[in-house]
Amino acid sequence: MSRRAGATDPWWMDAALTIAGLSKRFGPTVAVHDVHLTVARGSFFGLVGPNGAGKTTALSMAVGLVRPDAGAVRIFDHDVWADPVRAKELVGVLPDGLSLPERLTGRELLTYSARLRGLDRATAAERASELLAVLALTDAEHTVVIDYSAGMRKKIGLAAALLHAPKLLVLDEPFEAVDPVSASTIRTILQRFVAAGGAVVLSSHVMALVEKLCDHVAVIARGQVVASGRVDEVRGAGNLEDAFVSLVGGQVGGEEGLSWLTS
Amino acid sequence: MVDVLIAIKLRALRRTLHGWTGTAYVLMAVAGLSTALVCVAFMALFPGGITVRVDIAATVFAVWTLGWLFGPVLGASDETLRPENFALLPLRPTALASGLLGASLVGVAPLVTALIMFGLVLVAIPAGIGAVLVAVVAAAGQLALAVLLSRVVFAGLGAALASRRGRDLGVLLGALVGLAYLPIIMLTPHLEPLVVDRTSPLFTAVLHGLPTGWGPGAVAAAAEGRWAVALGLLAALGVLDTLLVVAWSRLLVRRLTTAQPTARSQAAGSRRGALRTVLPDSPLGAVIGKELLLWWRDTRRKALMFSSLLIGILLPVFYTWQNSSLVPLASAGIWIVVFASLQCGNVYGMDGSAVWQTLVAPAAAQVDVRGRQLAWLLIVGPCTLLAVAVLPAVTGTAEWYPWQLAIVAALLGAGSGTFVLASVRAPVPMPTKGGSPFATGPGGTAGKVVNAFAMMGRLLLVVLPPLAVLVAGAITGWSALAWAAVPLGVACGIWAAWRWGGKAAQQVSERGPELLAAVRLPV
Repeated sequence: MSRRAGATDPWWMDAALTIAGLSKRFGPTVAVHDVHLTVARGSFFGLVGPNGAGKTTALSMAVGLVRPDAGAVRIFDHDVWADPVRAKELVGVLPDGLSLPERLTGRELLTYSARLRGLDRATAAERASELLAVLALTDAEHTVVIDYSAGMRKKIGLAAALLHAPKLLVLDEPFEAVDPVSASTIRTILQRFVAAGGAVVLSSHVMALVEKLCDHVAVIARGQVVASGRVDEVRGAGNLEDAFVSLVGGQVGGEEGLSWLTS
Repeated sequence: MVDVLIAIKLRALRRTLHGWTGTAYVLMAVAGLSTALVCVAFMALFPGGITVRVDIAATVFAVWTLGWLFGPVLGASDETLRPENFALLPLRPTALASGLLGASLVGVAPLVTALIMFGLVLVAIPAGIGAVLVAVVAAAGQLALAVLLSRVVFAGLGAALASRRGRDLGVLLGALVGLAYLPIIMLTPHLEPLVVDRTSPLFTAVLHGLPTGWGPGAVAAAAEGRWAVALGLLAALGVLDTLLVVAWSRLLVRRLTTAQPTARSQAAGSRRGALRTVLPDSPLGAVIGKELLLWWRDTRRKALMFSSLLIGILLPVFYTWQNSSLVPLASAGIWIVVFASLQCGNVYGMDGSAVWQTLVAPAAAQVDVRGRQLAWLLIVGPCTLLAVAVLPAVTGTAEWYPWQLAIVAALLGAGSGTFVLASVRAPVPMPTKGGSPFATGPGGTAGKVVNAFAMMGRLLLVVLPPLAVLVAGAITGWSALAWAAVPLGVACGIWAAWRWGGKAAQQVSERGPELLAAVRLPV
């Protein structure tokens, strides 16, 4: 856990991602309200929150996929809306719940993504092969993406996010539906990426994973950040899961009602 | 079951009816209801006895039922309620089919059809209460027949497309079913003597023999007091409807238990190798390559492209046959471009939320739009130019060459500009998995109609300058002037492709998040 020691550096001096006052409503529903976050270079940042808390909306706004009603996002000091080209060059994105060009094979998808970002054919093919091999997708490289399982989709999406060697990764639920071996591989890749000075922002439901992987964490509930800081600060004396439950004001239910289910 | 499904359908319909889709839907409803009133008035008030009116009703029912048959293939199919959503319910397939049938009766098209079918009751009124009762039952049976036939054809197409080998066959079949509408258009002018004066006994026999004639036949029999015949025809209609429900439920079971097919990967490998040598090693080349692959591999895209090319060729053939003039056939190139651009006016909707890849890549909007335009031109262009080069000479209408070349050049450019612009301006989300490649999401049909009119307007605009020069050439008799229209057409085409493609790219770049939100199908 050398990352946590490194996180005592003055990380706020040199932000990879700055989110200031982001807000978004969908009709009468407030999805995200006045969210502020700063992710340092070389930081591994976890975004946690209950279902429907606004994690996906917040991350989508951070990378320019959803237009915020208010607020600003800067990626390495480039405004995502005012200077999108530079900002987009520096970020790799894995969204959640969006489709891919479904009729391309895994390999075609990777080479297409790489070349869309201006890499030449040879480099694109080389990086695609390497990523397919590392993520154990080589057997499926000639299968069209529509036939991929949920976990394989996450992996090919992650590969597409890494292809152009970004400096910031914004990953929405990167471990969801991924098998334990692949999850371990992804963790190692991301830790190497952070150790080399990159920054990762990921959202997750799995507290143990965030606790183990991230040096900083933000807890988001009902569209607002209710706690943010170093992991050891946010969790206090107990573990992150207990801190999370008390922070989001949730009660662990399941003891009352439902008598028809157990009779 | 039925009431729950109808409630879901109504709720979904209400959700989609806002903004311009709502307006388009209302306009379509008004047009549909007016058509229904005209049809009913025709059936009920036509001078002559009940025999003539019954024959008219049989004709109207036949045409209207055919419309239901071809509707799905021509893109007017709404899969708001997907059978997959109910796959895990403990329901017998026939119960699910009946429930979906009930929900299919909700909407403007079923309402219009119901009005027309129940117009049969007005026809029966002069014949007394017995005939009226027969007419009520007959109308219900005919309405169910139209909707069920449509559903079974749709499900059958989906089933055919679910197997790897059947997919190409299904696309061809779909295009041909769509084309079968053309002979009916041709028949229309000859219809009145056939129906009213009964000039052809064969036609009258077919009209009464078809299931669409059974209901009107029952009313005619009841009016003459032949009650056994009337009840027999009603019973036959009932049996046919029941059989269709059973057939539909069988197809539903097949759809819900058959896995999605996988694409042919080996073939893809060699094709990509061939593409690699031609396309530039740049982001633009990557987009063109991806687009060409998708036009080939995505069943829905292939169906659209294939049917527009086929209609573009066969429609002029029919017109030539009908008018005994070779000029329509010689102008097949024009038809191909027009259909190919109108049919492709929702490419972003077809790709769905995958557009996020373009949005997160730096400055990719321009490349994406231009790549789509060029890929479209690479497919439509050669087919069109071949038709233009060959057909006037073959049909002996070589004097039309400057007309053909000038107009097709303008249209190719305009088409490649207008289809991307329409796709960006009015995207309609489409279901991504399962079912027929001809399915659209809720509210899709109305949106498509409005979109198609906007596109036709733009195509016409670009054709006007070369057309003016061509007409001037024809009036003055200067062939040099006619030939001068060709470079003008090329220039207009390039201008339109550049201008509208640029507008589309600008909108993708500036309103990317809005485009993504519009093409995402609400889960």
